[in-house]
Amino acid sequence: MLEVTGLKKAFGGNKILKGVDVSLQKGDVLCVLGPSGSGKTTMLRCLNYLEKADAGRMRFMENEYDMPGISKKEISAYRRHTAFVFQNFNLFANKTAIQNVTEGLIVARRMSRAEATERAEKALIEVGLEGKFDSRPSQLSGGQQQRVAIARAVAAEPDVIFFDEPTSALDPELIGGVLDVIRGLAENGRTMMIVTHEVNFAHNVATRVIFMDEGRILADAPRREFFGAEQLPRIRSFLNSLERKE
Amino acid sequence: MTERLINILLESFPKIFLQGLLVTIPLTVISFAIAMVIAMVCAMIQIANVKGLKQIVRFYIWIIRGTPLLVQLYLIYFGLPDLGIVLPSFPCAIMVFALNEGAYCAETMRGAIESVPKGQLEAGYCVGMSYMQIMRRIILPQALRTAFPPLSNSLISMVKDTSLAANITVVEMFMTAQRIAGRTYEHLALYIEVALIYLIFCTVFTWLQRLGERKLTSVSGGGSIHA
Ligand SMILES: Nc1ncnc2c1ncn2[C@@H]1O[C@H](COP(=O)(O)OP(=O)(O)OP(=O)(O)O)[C@@H](O)[C@H]1O
Ligand SMILES: [Mg+2]
Repeated sequence: MLEVTGLKKAFGGNKILKGVDVSLQKGDVLCVLGPSGSGKTTMLRCLNYLEKADAGRMRFMENEYDMPGISKKEISAYRRHTAFVFQNFNLFANKTAIQNVTEGLIVARRMSRAEATERAEKALIEVGLEGKFDSRPSQLSGGQQQRVAIARAVAAEPDVIFFDEPTSALDPELIGGVLDVIRGLAENGRTMMIVTHEVNFAHNVATRVIFMDEGRILADAPRREFFGAEQLPRIRSFLNSLERKE
Repeated sequence: MTERLINILLESFPKIFLQGLLVTIPLTVISFAIAMVIAMVCAMIQIANVKGLKQIVRFYIWIIRGTPLLVQLYLIYFGLPDLGIVLPSFPCAIMVFALNEGAYCAETMRGAIESVPKGQLEAGYCVGMSYMQIMRRIILPQALRTAFPPLSNSLISMVKDTSLAANITVVEMFMTAQRIAGRTYEHLALYIEVALIYLIFCTVFTWLQRLGERKLTSVSGGGSIHA
């Protein structure tokens, strides 16, 4: 469904992505692991054009794009099929939980208010936030805010949802709840690409795992294989180092 | 206090006050309204990084902030006629106050817009909104809330600054008081009186500002904005 080849990105001469190939099939839950600074966030941002790639081709459904040369129109057409969940939630601070969800539906997708509200309520209930519809982001915990952000992403019924470390900004006791919500989405067959440091979560939920290091993808394998015995030493030592921290 | 002085004060009070209502306040409010438009446009041009226009805006702000308001008033009212451009004093005052205030408020507004976390713009893009939609519906409402207290302070300063318009023959409160003082020789009493009337007007504006701030926090549900 989504296939990217030769993705490159540098910030001021500092090469962050050095030719990344990545693809997603419908129904994939692709977890992206890798050490800090390896370029995971940058890759995800390039995939949704929050950052302009220096090189790379993207095939998405029946379209093909030259990533540096893509037009604004093409970007917005593409974004109708994708959603993004940020590490810092990035909720609209002047809107209530439900307005955060309906805003894009009404303003960008020109849905009627009634239909948007119905969808938003369904999405908020799906992430366990019934009763919080009219709360402002400032009145919600980090975990609740992230769940609103997930509802906002889900409500648009995207073909792909990108997650950038959805639980990294959360207090430890709130992480589980958000991961459960994402697990639920996986069970419903959503296609997702999730950057995470939660190896256990990847182990349980991913269909595929990729490992990034210094701007390259070192491994790209189905989950069982990835966590199986025959693994690159570099990855084994990374996983071990995480375990030691826990 | 002599009876004469009391009579002068009683007679002059409604005159000065009325001149406040008829000239000082309209001058303030009209200039400030235009200043808000100028400020908004200038702030947006700077934020959106419109090439060419941005340099013009920076230049305008540099000039205004680097020169005294009184000099600006003189330049436009007494200077421009040398080039054949003669403006009546009231519109001239409005123009100068609006341009002056616009430059200062542009900076306030720009700061307020920049204080809204950038992630919300990206989130807006990701749900398919356009730059203008995100600005109008997400960023600006938050920025205006942030900018409201400093902007109201600017408005209150402006009530007082309009007294400078007396220098270019606008018959506002101060000029009215000055004339009565000149005629009656009661300088101390009249300047105290006009000061008190400024105080009344400014107090009313301060009170309105509080009301506005309370309304804004209740709309936003209180609390701070998370990054
Ligand atoms: N806007 C930017 N300007 C300059 N350098 C940047 C920018 N964004 C990222 N970088 C650099 O790119 C490198 C990779 O960053 P990135 O955020 O993609 O890593 P990451 O794999 O997501 O790391 P983490 O696990 O810590 O989130 C870092 O060295 C970072 O300093
Ligand atoms: Mg990151």
